[in-house]
Parts: sequence; C-alpha cells; structure tokens
Amino acid sequence: MTQDNRSGRPQGRPPEGDGRVSRVEASLRGPFLLFFVSAVVWLLAASVLGVIGALDLGASVGVLRDCAWFTPGRIATAQQDLFVYGWGFNAFFALNLWLLSQLGRFEFRNGWLAQLGGVAWNLALTYGVARVFAGDMTGYRLLDFPREVGPVLAAAFLLAGFWPIVAFARRPSGHTFASQWFVVGASFAFPLVYLLAQLLVLWQPASGVVQAIAHSWFVANLLQLWFGASALAAIYYFLPKVLERTLTGYYLAPVAFWTFFLFAGWTGPAALVGSPVPLWLQSTGVVAAAMMLIPVIIVAINVLGTLSSQGGWARAWNDTTLRFVSFGAVAFTLAGVLGGVFAFRSMSAVVRFTSFATGLEQLLVYGCASMVVFGASYFILPRLTGALWPSAKLVHVHFWATALGFLAALVAWLVGGWQNGQLLANPAVAYADVLRAGSSWCLVLMISAVLVLVGHVAFALNAFGMILKSSAPADSGRHD
Amino acid sequence: MKNLNTLLAGVFLAVALPFGALVLSGQSQLGGLGRAAGEEGGALFPSREPGLAIQGRAVYVSLGCVSCHTQQVRPAGQGSDIARGLGVRPSVARDYSLQPQVLLGERRLGPDLANYGARTSQINVETLLTDPASSGAVWHPSYRFVDAAQRTALVAYLKSLRQDYPSPEAKLKK
Repeated sequence: MTQDNRSGRPQGRPPEGDGRVSRVEASLRGPFLLFFVSAVVWLLAASVLGVIGALDLGASVGVLRDCAWFTPGRIATAQQDLFVYGWGFNAFFALNLWLLSQLGRFEFRNGWLAQLGGVAWNLALTYGVARVFAGDMTGYRLLDFPREVGPVLAAAFLLAGFWPIVAFARRPSGHTFASQWFVVGASFAFPLVYLLAQLLVLWQPASGVVQAIAHSWFVANLLQLWFGASALAAIYYFLPKVLERTLTGYYLAPVAFWTFFLFAGWTGPAALVGSPVPLWLQSTGVVAAAMMLIPVIIVAINVLGTLSSQGGWARAWNDTTLRFVSFGAVAFTLAGVLGGVFAFRSMSAVVRFTSFATGLEQLLVYGCASMVVFGASYFILPRLTGALWPSAKLVHVHFWATALGFLAALVAWLVGGWQNGQLLANPAVAYADVLRAGSSWCLVLMISAVLVLVGHVAFALNAFGMILKSSAPADSGRHD
Repeated sequence: MKNLNTLLAGVFLAVALPFGALVLSGQSQLGGLGRAAGEEGGALFPSREPGLAIQGRAVYVSLGCVSCHTQQVRPAGQGSDIARGLGVRPSVARDYSLQPQVLLGERRLGPDLANYGARTSQINVETLLTDPASSGAVWHPSYRFVDAAQRTALVAYLKSLRQDYPSPEAKLKK
C-alpha cells in the first residue's frame, strides 16, 4: 500500500486483487460521499468568489462595484462563510467520521441520519449565504448569517458531526489513538462554542464591547478546536499509517492534546490587543497564544521528528497523501510559532489591522487543514469507491497550483501586512501612500487566487470523475 | 484517555473555563457601564444615537463596511492611531456601552471610523459614497446604487461616530 509512487499515482487504493471495500467503509460510503461532494462544490464556489474578490480589490472591476450584490464586504463575507462552513465543515464531517469508524471498526447503520444532517447543514448554509448577498448579515465575522440560521446549523451539526463520538464509544477495544482524542474533542467542543456564541452575540447580545470579547473567543475556538484539532487528528493518523512507523516521542501526544485544548480557548483576546477591552483580558490572550507553543512543539516532535528520520521526507514527497499531509503539518507548526510570537504587544502593534492576521488564519485553515483534507481524500476515496484516481496529471496540477498559489498569497499577506503595518506606524506617511505601497501585493493575491482555483478545479474533476466511474456496490463488503 | 466521559469532561472544562473567565467575567466587569460625565458637572457621554443613525448602522452592516473599516482608536504606544489624527484619545469600553451592535472591526483597508464624525463634513461623506474618485479615495468602492433614503441614514450614522468627548477612563488633553 505504501510502495514508491514516482509516477504520481495516488496511494491508498485497496490491495491488488481485492476490488471490494471493507464492510466498515461500505457503511460509510453514502454519508461520506454526500459530505465530500458538498465540500468540493462549496470549495469551488468559494474559490470563484475568492477570484472575484481579489479582482474587485486589486483591479477595481467597475461592473461589480456598481452592483449591490457584489460589494467587497459581501463578497468577502460570503467567500469566507462558504469556505469555512461549506468546505471546512463538510470536509471534516466526512474525514472525522471515516477516521473514527476506521479506528473503532464502527459499522454505520444510521447513515441516513447523518445524511439528513448534511442536507440540513447545506440548505441552511445556502440560505445564509443568499441572505448575506442580499445584505442581511450581522457584521460579526463567521457569525454573519441571520440569527435564525444558527439553531438550524447547530441541529444539523448534531446530526451530521456527532457520529465520531458514537464511533468512539462503541469501539471494541480499550486502546485509543491520538487521532480519536482530537476528533472527539473537536466534535464535542464545536456545538458548545457555537451555541454560546450565538446566544451572547446574536440572540441575547452582551453589553457593549463584551460582544467583541465573545466574538474573539468564538473565532479562536472555531479555528483551533474545529479546524486545528480535526487536522491534527488526520495528521496523527496518516503519517504513521502510510510510513508504517510509530511516531517519534508518541508518548508526548496526550500532553499535546490536553495542552492544545487547555490553551486554545483562551487565545481569543490576543486578537484584541489595543482594543477598548480590559488589559487583563488582552494579556490573558497573549499568554495563552504563547502557551500554545507547548502543543505546537510536541506536535513538531511527533510529526516533523518522524518525517526527519529514516528518509521520511523523501517518502512523504513521493506519496501523494503524505505530500499534502506533510505540507499541512509544517503549516500547523508555522502557524503556531508565528501566532505565539506576533501576539506580543510590540509585534501586534505593528501588524494589527493588516493582512498579517489573515495570513496567520489562512496558514491554519488552508495551509494546514485544507491541505490535510486533500491528502486524506487521495487515501480514502479509492478505498471507498474501489476505483483509482483517473488522472495523475490532475493530481500534480492540484498539488502545485494549490501549494504555489497558497504560498504566494501567504507571502503577500504576511510580508505585505508587515510592510503595511510599519508604514501605518509612521504618522509621517500619508494614508494614501500606505494604500499605494500595498497595491503591488494585490497583483500577487489575484494571481494566487487564480492558481488556487485552478488547483481546486483539477481536484474536483479528478474526484468527481472517480466517483462517477465508481462501480463498487455498497453492499458487497468483505469482513475486515 | 480511554474513558469517553473523562475525555468529554476535560473538553467541556476546556471550553467552559475560558468562556466563564473571559466572556462572563468581562460582562460582569463591563456590563454596568453607562453614560457618565468625564469632568465634574460636565455633560453625560456617550450621546444617545439619533433614530436616523440607528437606521444608518443597519445600512453600514448590510453593505459589509465592517470588512474594511474598524471603529476603535488604540492608545499611544499601541500603533499610531492618535498621532495620525484618527482620534483625540483612545477608545474606551464606555464609548460603546449604548451601542446595541458593536462593530469594532478587524481589518483596516480604509481608515478607522471611531471618530469619523468629528473629522469630516456631511458633503465629504456623501461624495465619498457616490463618487469616491473625486474625493481622492480611489480605492473606495462607489455606492451609487444605494437609494437616497439609505444614503441619508448612512451619512447620519457616520456623522454620529464621535469619540471627542472626555470620559472618566480617558480624559482629553488640554
């Protein structure tokens, strides 16, 4: 299963001579494919909006600018919501369910409930995004949908995203793996966080700036405890699985898990340094962001340590799944280190309100989480469908277009943000000159948005082609 | 790590503790803030919002202005907001105590608006919305499609954004 793959043919297909899928995987096929196909459709929609947004910002596209539906604010909001709630959640519904079913040998007998949740989630999302385009939004990033959407999304999450916890509870053996802890944590934490944030920001708004505190708490939890934890679960699974080795210093993984969950929830106010909120709150956020270095370092020891021994990097480069997953692991480490360093007041004073924060966030949700999902897809889909990926060329296009597009955008966000912040810190530089200096990065962002879209189209063509060609009957599974 | 209940209890605490310590204690500390005089015998601030400004806030949110504009002036030493003339003093929590919807913002693609009403004229705001290029703001989107009633409300809202009064937590420099 892990033989060299220099042709670029993705790994993870069933063993030669056995075209059938396992019974566990056969039971997952329906819900997994619903979540996966939905995720990819939303990813494409978000990518198209990303290109429109980059053009709108950088090239001042006149036609769009005179249209109410396409104000920069609405495009940015819709793009972000589609990416986070459309792509990110559907993708991790699928991946988390698959991971814990595999690890717990869980045969999914109530797939229709998860599918019902998936349909409800996607309908609520469609309605929410349509309302955003119509201008009916709340003004709170990632809680933008009209408040009636929130309870539907929460209920849909319980139907679609809670099954990994059931799979964990019903596992036959007592032994557990790091991936299971992270998925259980993510699946349990998100609904709590989402409902509390909905309550205090939208339904019974807290007083004044406490809304901003609650919002910063929500965003930090969403990014770290859903995207971060789910991505780490996949990294902890695929790395040893494909390399067929135990992780370096794996005994430290429980410490990584608990410190990650312990500190992540406190990091929100680090985004409020300098804001009109109590200083003790800001300092708590800064300290928590610095403390996040503990789980980040342990994950680096576990993951990067494993990759750095016995030719791990070379093997990762030659395996499609590991190439993406390793990219995600490096991005996670970088996001943690930069997040800790740039939370400090002196650094935050420079980069606050610039694109730097966008860069850090995208490092986690795209560089880490999305790349890990891509890598996992190359492993899982052949097993679920019993088919091979139709085109190795499209796999290469996918990797290079997304990796280069993302890296170009990351440089624009981080370096451009730092430059922008330094110019803003100098009151002698006129505001128009600050904007003019930053406009050169807009071209980079436009090119990167197009590159990323190309990569996503390649991925979608390959994945949908494979699913359509798939002939594996869902009920002809073999016993594991 | 094998026991589901232990795992769930730990995760619950990991969510609940920061929520309680950050959000609920924040509410406990700041929830009672209201109008106050910055100087003995002085007028009470912040002012109550006119009805038109409340309608204007809805337009501001609807157009997505918060994606590009912040509404908070940082203290000296934490950025150059005051040196740039964005405000005459740092923003404090009391400034937002009457606002039903606090729009601090996270990104500045355009200038901060916390004290915008005090540093611009009505004509400037209207020109910026209808013909930004002529007012020198070439990067600002045009909002010609916004109807007259909404534009009037939006202008009233932007003109109502002022933090040029003394507050018990932030005195004005004489």
